[in-house]
Amino acid sequence: MILVIAEQKDGRLNRASWETIAGAQQLDPSAITVLVPGASAASVAAELAAANVSEVVTVEHAALNPYTPDGYTAALQDAIAQLGPTHVLLPHTYQTRDFAPKLAARLDRAIVTDVTAIKKSPSTGSGQADVAFVRPMFQGKLTADVVPQGPPPHFVTFQIGAYRVDQVAKGSSSAPVRALTVNVDASQVRQNPEAPFQQAKAAVDLSQAERIVSVGRGIKEQANIKIAEDLARALGAELAASRPICDSGWLPMERQVGSSGQTVAPKLYLALGISGAIQHLVGMKGSNTIVAINKDPDAPIFEIADYGIVGDLFEIVPAMIEALKQ
Amino acid sequence: MATLIFWLLFLSFVGAFAAQVATRVRLIAAAPSTFTFDDIGFRVRRCLADVLFQRKTIVERPVAGLAHAFVFWGFLVFAGYTSVEFLYGLGLVDLTETTWFHAYRMVIVPFATAVLVGILYLLVRRAFVRPVGLGTHVSAESIVIALFIATLMVTYLLTFRFEERTLAWAVNWWVHMLVILAFLALIPASKHFHLVVSPITVFLKSPELGNLPNLDFEKEQVGLETLKDVGSKIVLDAFTCVECGRCQVNCPAWGAGKELNPKTIVLQTQGALLAGQKDKKLGEIYSEQVLWQCTTCGACENQCPVGIEHLPILIGSRRGLVSNGDAPDYLGAMYNNLERRSNIWGLGYDQRTKFVQSAELETFDPAKHDVLIWLGCAGSFDADFQKSLRSLFSILRAKQVRFGVLAKERCNGDPAKRTGNEYMYQELANGNIEDLTRAGVKKIVTSCPHCVKTIGADYAKFGYTVEIVHSSVFVEELTRGLAAPAPAGTHAGEGRVTYHDPCYLGRYAGKTDEPRALLTRFGAEISEPERNRENPYCCGAGGGLLFADKEEEPGSRISDVRFKQLQATGANTVVTACPFCSIMLKGAQASAGADTQFVDLMTYVDGKLRTIA
Amino acid sequence: MKIAVCIKQVPTREWQPRLDDSKTWIREADASFEMNEPDAYALEEALRLKEKHGGEVVVCSAGPARVAQVIREALARGADRAIHVEDDGLASADAFVTASALAAAMQDEKFDLVLTGLQSDDQGFAQVGVVLAEKLGTPHSTIIMEVHVEGSNLRVKRELEGGWFQWIAMPLPAVLTIQSGINQLRYATLKGIMAAKKKEIRKAAALAASAPKQKIVSLYVPEKGKKTQIISGSPAEAAKALVQKLRDEARVIQ
Repeated sequence: MILVIAEQKDGRLNRASWETIAGAQQLDPSAITVLVPGASAASVAAELAAANVSEVVTVEHAALNPYTPDGYTAALQDAIAQLGPTHVLLPHTYQTRDFAPKLAARLDRAIVTDVTAIKKSPSTGSGQADVAFVRPMFQGKLTADVVPQGPPPHFVTFQIGAYRVDQVAKGSSSAPVRALTVNVDASQVRQNPEAPFQQAKAAVDLSQAERIVSVGRGIKEQANIKIAEDLARALGAELAASRPICDSGWLPMERQVGSSGQTVAPKLYLALGISGAIQHLVGMKGSNTIVAINKDPDAPIFEIADYGIVGDLFEIVPAMIEALKQ
Repeated sequence: MATLIFWLLFLSFVGAFAAQVATRVRLIAAAPSTFTFDDIGFRVRRCLADVLFQRKTIVERPVAGLAHAFVFWGFLVFAGYTSVEFLYGLGLVDLTETTWFHAYRMVIVPFATAVLVGILYLLVRRAFVRPVGLGTHVSAESIVIALFIATLMVTYLLTFRFEERTLAWAVNWWVHMLVILAFLALIPASKHFHLVVSPITVFLKSPELGNLPNLDFEKEQVGLETLKDVGSKIVLDAFTCVECGRCQVNCPAWGAGKELNPKTIVLQTQGALLAGQKDKKLGEIYSEQVLWQCTTCGACENQCPVGIEHLPILIGSRRGLVSNGDAPDYLGAMYNNLERRSNIWGLGYDQRTKFVQSAELETFDPAKHDVLIWLGCAGSFDADFQKSLRSLFSILRAKQVRFGVLAKERCNGDPAKRTGNEYMYQELANGNIEDLTRAGVKKIVTSCPHCVKTIGADYAKFGYTVEIVHSSVFVEELTRGLAAPAPAGTHAGEGRVTYHDPCYLGRYAGKTDEPRALLTRFGAEISEPERNRENPYCCGAGGGLLFADKEEEPGSRISDVRFKQLQATGANTVVTACPFCSIMLKGAQASAGADTQFVDLMTYVDGKLRTIA
Repeated sequence: MKIAVCIKQVPTREWQPRLDDSKTWIREADASFEMNEPDAYALEEALRLKEKHGGEVVVCSAGPARVAQVIREALARGADRAIHVEDDGLASADAFVTASALAAAMQDEKFDLVLTGLQSDDQGFAQVGVVLAEKLGTPHSTIIMEVHVEGSNLRVKRELEGGWFQWIAMPLPAVLTIQSGINQLRYATLKGIMAAKKKEIRKAAALAASAPKQKIVSLYVPEKGKKTQIISGSPAEAAKALVQKLRDEARVIQ
């Protein structure tokens, strides 16, 4: 049986849990149990029951609310002992990274993290029908097929986005939901967490932004910055700029990216009308995906961009905002 | 009786003079020895030119320089006269009646007049005109000494007026001699001490601009931390300063309104030495943030007429700070980039590999290639400068020059060396030297003047010598005999450009003709900016300042100041010959919102060559 | 305070990987190595805590002899001494084996606090810190932005996804994995480098290696290289294509 551990907080499900179910269905669609830990699990469980899985199990306990690695490890250790799965699958979220290795170590079992795909037949001719898990290594320069060793259960965490929510097969009818009681000594929990909060943004901190829309001289006038702002809003991104924009006072200094400004490493960096002078580049080279929109086909920024459009940003940006609405 | 009094006065004043000189000599002797004597021939020639013929003093400030030359030459010529009068006054021997002495006295009359004219001009300039280089405060002592010199000349000329051995004559004589003695006693503690030491200082000045010996780690040398670490040449320099302010007014940091003032640095050193503060930290004497405002352009040291070397003080102090972990944050990040990625940007090597492949560059092989092209940090990683290198490759290929590149380059180490991180510098240098030697490189062509200076001059201190030339010099030689005048129908002014001499090419390497020859050969009309050739105004990138914009600093950006100077020439195209000048000036252009065109020299030449191909 | 920092030596980020003959690991002879960057931030944090609270910082690393390079770097930056669990097999070991080896060598030192980077640049499992805490029997927390020591208690700021954060208290001793970029890394000063030559590196033999929990059966270069995709077409078409690629290919928007 494949056990999927979903992630939720106060009744709000983390979407990545759906992705994990999609992965589980690829591994073995016939016997999947989804476990929902934490308080207010019932509504989340009902949501997840729509998937094509065998059953959904809720585990509620004082030690699971709020989340602590000690509490989750103890509770899930007991749950796994009761359920006896061959594989335990989780999404590779910050929370999973916080407790899953401890849980696996507690049980002295293998855990393969940050997996992007499953390979059913091995690439080396061992003859055994071992399942290999595919994951990036060496900063994505190489890919590895990894086979967990030792007795089950084997733990696997999936990279966010490796599977898509719309890949999940729905069940013809709702899966049964039941509660599972676990035996946990709450006094074992040594962490004392306070309530989570969002950073009060007195100053702009671009270094934490996941998506950034950045403007350069190609924006021509201060008034035009509005279209960049609109795009940023549509993307859920922060606004940034190259030095000349901040020098002219069109945007505050805190939004300057470059060797004399902030260094950023977002998942997405969209450079509008930025030529790509090296002093700007060193401030954003760590970005995961770089998009450049510039009129000049020779602009140095195209050398490091992953995607580029040579054209008029005043036409392209509004078209992008439209496309994002769909 | 008079003789006795004269002896007493003589001994007291000379004694006072000697005692003060002794203090200074003791301070010089107590400092670790840093005197150098290499290339004696050059040093002697320079002494003759700059000391005897006052070359540096006259060239930068012609009128004042000439006035000073008059005073100086007058001094030399008067030596004989003064000696004879002293021998007479001390009752040792009386040569005053000899015929040759009478003739001599006539001969030096025009000199005395010249001195008088000169000193009065200088006095008025210092007291009333007050040019900024001389400082805001007019010291009483400088006025007194100027008046002393004037008095000496007046009293000398009056000796022709009075009949000998009369009362008037005697009073005149005594005034003259007392003024000399008083002057003597004032010399050591004033800027006039340069009368005694400057020929020595000029002689001892290194033939190499910005001479910084390697630190010896075996001996646990870490740079200059406190005043007692400062070397004997620096101490000598501190006492030689004439406070003329040439270093100050030529300093780009000072010119941009920053706190750094090379003249102040030298005088602060002097003050601290005399106050006995040998255990005081240099970072406190100069105030740390000032030390980080230097671009190492070398203008100060280059302009100094009395042989002072400013860079060893500034960079030596930086070494002390860096060794203790007190480098500013932006430099810490740069050092980490150098350590991890061997380049200042911290960019991954695949950028260089991509460029090498797309430009179809071959790995250097001494059997196949004539020269090695050293790409440098900018050449390897800056897509903008790579365009200039493509132009260079195109020129070389058109001229059938066989060239290759190293499989791996590290930063030459200049940013580490000029900011005081000797350890990083030596790591990079030794690695590069090993690679260059193993590859069998004999001649290097590069487009970065900093690489030329470091690999050509600084690596020599490790015993490594190689021929390295800047691309402008190499291409100039390559294209001699070619011409591409402006096409018919071109309006006057269309071919107008201005050329920005890079500090490390114009000042350090002295190569100012070759780039200009290239430009005019291909029809350009050059409008020279106000600071050019061997004395350009820095673009502001050197000394680690490429990354320094983070801190809130007083004054403007050095690059903005220079950009305005270039705009003022009226030319709409700026030609550059250094990747860092290009980065800084283009940044200044972007900030100014101007639409000045920038073109690298190689791109300019390549474009012209194609029109005649 | 007795603080341990676990650092790993990894191939440099710029190194182009070459596979060994079995195609299950890299050809190490070709690679150059450096300190794992996330561990560098953990080291910096440890040094700052030592400056604030006094005590010593001990660098711990498991791996073959060449690991001494990064140990010396850490000593040059200010760590006081080091423990090197030396074994060639540890070069490609999985997180369990590494964590067990470290725990065995560190157990008796009774560290107040153990810091490590949140994951390594080579294998990137993000497990060693957490497994180490389990083996040492101490509480832990991960992806930490700030560390405050209050007597024998710890108060740390943990990063959650989406711009959320959380303060957590726990008793010492504890293990923390540190988020990258939280502080300005100091550079190795000349004096530090000179002093490092005299600092102690205690060699600890790897005890009977625990059984590996993973096996790499194949290592290979992924098909997609990093080439710039220029999207052509009219502004409307290009914009639409770009949004689609960002959604489905790069997966940076939803």
